[in-house]
Amino acid sequence: MFKLNLKIALRNLFKNKVYAAINIGGLAVGLTSCLLLMLYATYEWGYDKQFKNSNHIYQAMINLQDKNGNVIRTIEQSQNVMLDALKQEFPDVSYGARSTSSYKRLVANDEQSLKLQSRYVDPDFLKVFDYEFISGNPAKALNDPNSIVLTATAAKKIFGKTDVLNEKIRFENQVDLKVTAVIKDLPSNTTFGFESLTTWTLYENLNEWPKQPSWGSHDYHTLVKLDEKADVASFNLKLKGFVRKHFANANEDVFLYPLTKLHLYGAFVNGQSTGGNINQMRLFVGLAIGILLIACINFMNLATASTQGRAKEIGVKKTMGATRTNLVSQFMLESFILTLLSILLSIIILEFTLPLFNQLLGIEIVFDYLNPINWTLILVVLILTGFVAGSYPAFYLSGFNVIQSLKKSLNFKKGYALTFRQVLVVVQFSFSIILIAATITIYKQIQFVKNTPLGYDTNGLVEIPHEGLLYSKFNVLKTKLLSSRAVISMTQSSGSISNKNSTIRALGWDGMNESDKLIDFDQIYTTYDFIKTANIKLIAGRDFNEKFASDSAALLLSKKAVEVMDLKNPVGASILYQGAKRNIVGVFEDIVWDNPSKNTAPMVIAFADISDVITMRLNPEKSLSESVGLVTSIIKEVNPNFPVEINFIDNLNESKLKNERVLGTLANLFGCLAIFVSCLGLFGLSSFSTAQRIKEVSIRKILGASVGELMTLLSASFVKLIFIAIVIALPIAYYVMNNWLQTFELRTALSWWLFVLTALLILVISVITISWQTYRAAKTNPVDALKYE
Amino acid sequence: MIELKNIEKYYANKGVKSYILRHVTTSIKQGEFVSIMGPSGAGKSTLLNILGMLEEPTYGEYHFMGEDVTAMKERQRIELYRNHIGFVFQAYHLIDEMTVAENIEAPLLYKKIPGAERKSRIADILDRFNMVAKKDLFPNQLSGGQQQLVGIARALVAQPSIILADEPTGNLQSAQAEQIMDLFKKLNQEENITILQVTHSEKNAQYGNRILTIEDGVIKEDVTVK
Repeated sequence: MFKLNLKIALRNLFKNKVYAAINIGGLAVGLTSCLLLMLYATYEWGYDKQFKNSNHIYQAMINLQDKNGNVIRTIEQSQNVMLDALKQEFPDVSYGARSTSSYKRLVANDEQSLKLQSRYVDPDFLKVFDYEFISGNPAKALNDPNSIVLTATAAKKIFGKTDVLNEKIRFENQVDLKVTAVIKDLPSNTTFGFESLTTWTLYENLNEWPKQPSWGSHDYHTLVKLDEKADVASFNLKLKGFVRKHFANANEDVFLYPLTKLHLYGAFVNGQSTGGNINQMRLFVGLAIGILLIACINFMNLATASTQGRAKEIGVKKTMGATRTNLVSQFMLESFILTLLSILLSIIILEFTLPLFNQLLGIEIVFDYLNPINWTLILVVLILTGFVAGSYPAFYLSGFNVIQSLKKSLNFKKGYALTFRQVLVVVQFSFSIILIAATITIYKQIQFVKNTPLGYDTNGLVEIPHEGLLYSKFNVLKTKLLSSRAVISMTQSSGSISNKNSTIRALGWDGMNESDKLIDFDQIYTTYDFIKTANIKLIAGRDFNEKFASDSAALLLSKKAVEVMDLKNPVGASILYQGAKRNIVGVFEDIVWDNPSKNTAPMVIAFADISDVITMRLNPEKSLSESVGLVTSIIKEVNPNFPVEINFIDNLNESKLKNERVLGTLANLFGCLAIFVSCLGLFGLSSFSTAQRIKEVSIRKILGASVGELMTLLSASFVKLIFIAIVIALPIAYYVMNNWLQTFELRTALSWWLFVLTALLILVISVITISWQTYRAAKTNPVDALKYE
Repeated sequence: MIELKNIEKYYANKGVKSYILRHVTTSIKQGEFVSIMGPSGAGKSTLLNILGMLEEPTYGEYHFMGEDVTAMKERQRIELYRNHIGFVFQAYHLIDEMTVAENIEAPLLYKKIPGAERKSRIADILDRFNMVAKKDLFPNQLSGGQQQLVGIARALVAQPSIILADEPTGNLQSAQAEQIMDLFKKLNQEENITILQVTHSEKNAQYGNRILTIEDGVIKEDVTVK
């Protein structure tokens, strides 16, 4: 029986090629989207779970509080003394390690000089994370202060091979290090990624500030491994007041947060985790299921719509003694065969689309054919899809009455009531409409943010890291660059103009309240020409100027800062800044420093020779490539040991919108796929429906109906469904997108044209799809249809 | 074999009953060859459907081989289909996606007959109907008469005790029709299979040994053919 059913199913597929193609194609697209998004979700889900100890590793995090003990902000960085204090007082802390953030550091050997993402860490870092060592001993690799651990890729970049134990590397042009271990490349879904590791002792040897034990500044990641039996909730209770015990001025509490939750649940409000990337992940999983459902609905619709052809078979089989179970299992088998074919096809599609998908999202997902988990995933999807898609047709078809099915007089409900099949179409299109509306909204928000005036001119504005000899030879560089006429202005600053990296509070001014001490001001240190180079608009006063010696203790305030301080005559006013009085020499128009979708914070620009970044404006009279070439050669000449790295501010700003862009791309991509699959279904459905009504069409034609009238007649029932879908979907889309926009402080408005556009788009697409069939039907020769009766 | 007592069938529409069958009482014995005749719309097919348990009477008693059909469960009815009843249709109703051999095999599959026996039974019946050469053809490759032969072969292969045929020759030319009717007569006489056919043709009715004439849902005549 199984064999025969299988044969019949395959014969049916070959007989109805269009139907089979629509079904398999649609399902394959649905399954591919589903698999892609599932792989992505698995990737995100697997963040930081690769390590043996993952479940017992925690990061010490800090809740910063106000006077009343309310949490203002939760930060991931803690003090350099935190780890030792924790280890000493709590035996549950088995071991731990500090790590700096990952920065690009210069490494060089005789042939190569390049920059690697690098962290300074304590030796136990290699105990916390059990990396796969290609060579070297994890227990000793970081014991010598002048040692360095490389990933395989980093080793290949520098030496061209991974067999590089005990080789020498010049680090930051300051010290020679010995390679003590090479580890396999880290999976990209790790929070604490790097290309090379160097020792904390080296960090302290090269720099002054980390040496000082300090409870006052939060700069480092502290990772600890807790005893397997320890309960983190009760452990955290013990940490209440821990910081204040060591540092009476502290308004903060430290707590341990699981490493495995850091990535997905990393957003905090009032000291409580409120989600994070998990929200996006849930969205993707929802999207995956939604698209698969659309494809399943196609299958159900087409299978039930093709009943005319199958009715006889069902009737005859029943008179031969087939039970309903026999028939259900036959139709289920057919559904599983189709799903299986679709899944095979989708694996092929996946193979081709995965690299594009990775590129689009900037991630590295591989479909590992040897990994049983992947096959389990596919098997689960196969069974679920086969079952969902097959169940309704199987029960619907097997329930036919024998006599009706043999007489071909199966009547479908008429009138205004919706059949189940029509409901499915409505569901499909509602989903597609929501996705389109979402795509348009996201696009509009990105445009809105992009078009927000930055307050400075990014045209030809570039920056380079301030490093190596550029510190001592800054003025030489400046003179050379300006005289080359490649740049027209340049400046140094403590941070990039494109990215917020520092805030300060506890400024003092006349007439302030006690609570004003808690206002965070954005802060940049610079010397001369910052305003000029960035082309920021001055509202009052002037930029720092070398002619005024007193400017070395002066301040610039943003317009917002003046408003916050409520200063009547800001220029010339005196402000308490880091415990000293400073005069304000100028007020500038607000600039966008943080994420452009956030409200602008007040800003101070202070004169200080603390610098990480050199910013310059290229000469607009020269071509871009010429200027960049000149700048590169001059920098190389002044600072020969470092590779030249010129960043355009435009690009840096662009990257701030990455999350929204990814969301937009995904919504766009999967929205289009959803519509495509829905339309495939609509196409199939309309072809069945018109085939059923061909006699009616022929008679009407004989009676004098025009092609246009017939097309309207045939399309009406489908257009009605699309209208219902629009009516249902638009309010949902409005609600969802309104909620999404609420997450931005500065946001675009949801305008009515957006929804009208969505509705029109869907209508046009679906009418075109239906017309294909209705036109053919309306053009048929009535004789062909009627002679068979 | 079949006992009908006071069978009624009507459809109620807005309080008005429209009768299809009224007071049908009759009995059919094992080995009879009964032809049901009557004008269009008289209720012949409905009667055959009720006999074949494809439709339920609105009222009345129906005993098949001593068992009350109206009280029967779905499962028991299916068992009757598998073991005792064979259907032959005017439009043949072969399954288009199956070959001749597969069409004939299908009822055996539902009867759960082992593979070897299935093969020999199919071979037997193909041989008997002279259709061995056609066993791998699909229905649309056969003439109407050949299709109906397959239809009968399919009904016979499960070795039923009764064959219900709804105008079995209605779509056939007269030469082919004669062939089919001869076959029915032979099956009835040689294998003692009960045959019940609905027919319009006086000539076909003469093949059987009893004719029931129905008019307006009522049995008008019940005559034995000499």
